[in-house]
Amino acid sequence: MKLRIFRFDPTDGKSRYDTFDVEPRPGMSVLSALFHLQDEIDDSLSLRYSCRGAVCGNCAMLINKVPRLACRTQVEALLAGADRVELKPYAALEATVDWDPGTEILIEPLPHLPVIKDLVVDMTGFFEYYRAVEPVLKPSEKPGEREYLMEPAAVRKLEPYTNCILCATCFGACPVNAKNPDYMGPAALAKLYRFHIDTREADDDSRLMLANRREGWWGCEFHTNCRKVCPKQVPPNLGIGAARREITEAGKVPPEIEDDR
Amino acid sequence: MNNYPRHSHDVIVIGGGLTGLRAAIEAARGGCSVAVVSKVHPLRSHSVAAQGGINASLGNSPDGRDDSWELHAFDTVKGSDYLADQDSVEIMAREAPGIVIEMEQMGTAFSRFDDGRIAQRPFGGAGFPRTCYAADRTGRSLLHTLYEQLTAVDITYYDEYFVTSLVLEGGRCAGCTAMNIADGTLHGFAAKAVLLATGGYGRLFARSTNALINTGDGAALAFRAGLPLEDMEFIQFHPTTLFGTNILITEGARGEGGYLYNNKHERFMKDYATKAMELAPRDIVARAIQTEVNEGRGFENEYVHLDLTHLGGDRITERLPGIRQIAIDFAGVDPVEKPIPVQPGQHYSMGGVACGNDGATAIPGLYAGGECACVSVHGSNRLGGNSLLETVVFGKLSGAAMAAASAATEMPSGDVVGAKLGEEASRIDELLGRSEGEHVAGLRAALRKTMFDGFGVYRSGEKMEKGLAEVRDLNRRCEKVYIDSKGRVFNQALVYALELQGLMQIGEVVAMGALARKESRGAHAREDYPERDDENFLLHTMASLRDGKAELEYAPVRLGQFPVKERVY
Repeated sequence: MKLRIFRFDPTDGKSRYDTFDVEPRPGMSVLSALFHLQDEIDDSLSLRYSCRGAVCGNCAMLINKVPRLACRTQVEALLAGADRVELKPYAALEATVDWDPGTEILIEPLPHLPVIKDLVVDMTGFFEYYRAVEPVLKPSEKPGEREYLMEPAAVRKLEPYTNCILCATCFGACPVNAKNPDYMGPAALAKLYRFHIDTREADDDSRLMLANRREGWWGCEFHTNCRKVCPKQVPPNLGIGAARREITEAGKVPPEIEDDR
Repeated sequence: MNNYPRHSHDVIVIGGGLTGLRAAIEAARGGCSVAVVSKVHPLRSHSVAAQGGINASLGNSPDGRDDSWELHAFDTVKGSDYLADQDSVEIMAREAPGIVIEMEQMGTAFSRFDDGRIAQRPFGGAGFPRTCYAADRTGRSLLHTLYEQLTAVDITYYDEYFVTSLVLEGGRCAGCTAMNIADGTLHGFAAKAVLLATGGYGRLFARSTNALINTGDGAALAFRAGLPLEDMEFIQFHPTTLFGTNILITEGARGEGGYLYNNKHERFMKDYATKAMELAPRDIVARAIQTEVNEGRGFENEYVHLDLTHLGGDRITERLPGIRQIAIDFAGVDPVEKPIPVQPGQHYSMGGVACGNDGATAIPGLYAGGECACVSVHGSNRLGGNSLLETVVFGKLSGAAMAAASAATEMPSGDVVGAKLGEEASRIDELLGRSEGEHVAGLRAALRKTMFDGFGVYRSGEKMEKGLAEVRDLNRRCEKVYIDSKGRVFNQALVYALELQGLMQIGEVVAMGALARKESRGAHAREDYPERDDENFLLHTMASLRDGKAELEYAPVRLGQFPVKERVY
């Protein structure tokens, strides 16, 4: 098989695609194929990695035009055409390079974030939105000597959202992020919703108001690319939809959003 | 004076995992300016991979009403094969309920019992269901919680900075130097207190559950600064790692009722731990699996089966969702339908930088905590659920200690940091300037194979002597390691080379300690010395660098309320 890899070095400011031949073997992930290149062919290739087991979220990249974790993406499945994900199109997915999905794997940096080098992007913007949702538990009661009690069902309701590993595949897959850099994006909104429904917090809408604007809950266009690419099956679209319904029922939809309707 | 960027903070925490972040919170609460310097973004630290849980004698389980911190301490000391320091273990067991409740109150979404209390599951070597968990992603839930808490605290992050050296002035630690991986610049850091919280050295071994970043950087920094490394030969091999990638399959899978089968479909643990069966401590189960494979009762001469199918789809999906996903993604096996192929693999570094109960080392101003340190609470074998506990208990204690020390200390002048920056720049320039030599990848693969073959689940004098000679040879060759990539921006080849140089030194120390310890204790199982020898080896190994050479000494174990006994399960 061939790996076609996006390369960029800020020292000369030039980008290009390099093509490498790699022998696929059973169990080989895109990440292990990239390590093989670093070890044997070109040690100047840069990429992020850490756990290699799909829990740390450091190796998100655009693989065959789908944002994925390189560590849990198997090369044989890609070449066989299995493991397909159909996404709503957006700018970064339009082919800028010809590649044959039957024999080649196209590997590019995650979209919507500036490239530092090769497959490494600057995540600052992504984490700014994370910080903007004030991701700190704000319990309604003062902590006592024992834990806060929570119904097992209440924890189960949180789990789809606490599963998030902040890998930013959803951010890179979101057509709204593609056209509006001020949109907070699916991961930050899912995080915000996670705190809103935490039964340890006050049962009010103060959390929801943090994103009650066009760049927050109201920016989503429900393309659901976020949920399709999430390696942990987090459903940001469901949280966003539920938040909007609550805000609407409370009669707190911002005027500029009402005007658009 | 050179022009390298310079920073100064009261407290510098090296490493952004659970220990580092818990210490950062505590030091900031103590009024210090705090910086976290980490070679990866904190959320990519290896703490995220911890699955099964965190031990505390909360007594929340109906079967655990009679649990107590003393019983937790006893299980830990027995599990350690009596090599743990009992005062340290007592601190950890006493602090456990409070620190777990504190994590819950900070927001960790622990799994719950029906009465709303934190759920607890049985784990190996524990007398009661004592392991609190958030499904099978406990480490990730805890780490994300601490990182969330820190968004409301004023601290400075230096993400993707690789620390290249510690700076000493008049016998004190005065800071460190670090390379910003993003652009290759060297930075100087002055500090009143520095914490090493860089995790373990699992990537010394060919088969490891550890993240690829676990290269023992903190231990290597301390060793080069003259500190002793303690009990480095004690390496935990986790019994159940996924065949192929060696990704961890949590002990919680057996805690939930999973069975181990050999190729004759026998639950072979009956021959090794009659009562505890699959929930015997890790060293015992790992040796049992290795013995089954060695004696021809494994599959493909490599692995055994971990069978969860009898638990049913609902229970697997609720309690072990991550395990199911890992087995599907990385082995093509759905544990609801088929057994998981598992084999032992390196999992945890019991040894580390010698330090006290507040993390203080023999160098004033320098602290260590978590897997990078050896307090020692795990002795020769760690119990599952105690490593997450260690990180937050001792992270908090060291954070408080650093805040107190920092209040009573003047900020170092920084001159000595400047001098060190010059030395480090020359060292890196020299490495990048080489025009030939051996590549990182070959040396690294050879080191890992040598360590796994010579210092794995079973050890013997002859194999270890050969292994030690090989490691020394590799270490020498690594001094002249060569990389093609000469750029400064995100030069990972350079990071790999710097990591490997440290790992080589650690490999030599592990090998020396293992060879010199002529007994079997906990995870250190010698075929030529199968018995524990308390008369000669109820001692901590201390390895130090003297005149460029690693040397071994021994220090007494701090015994206490639990008398040293035979260890039977």
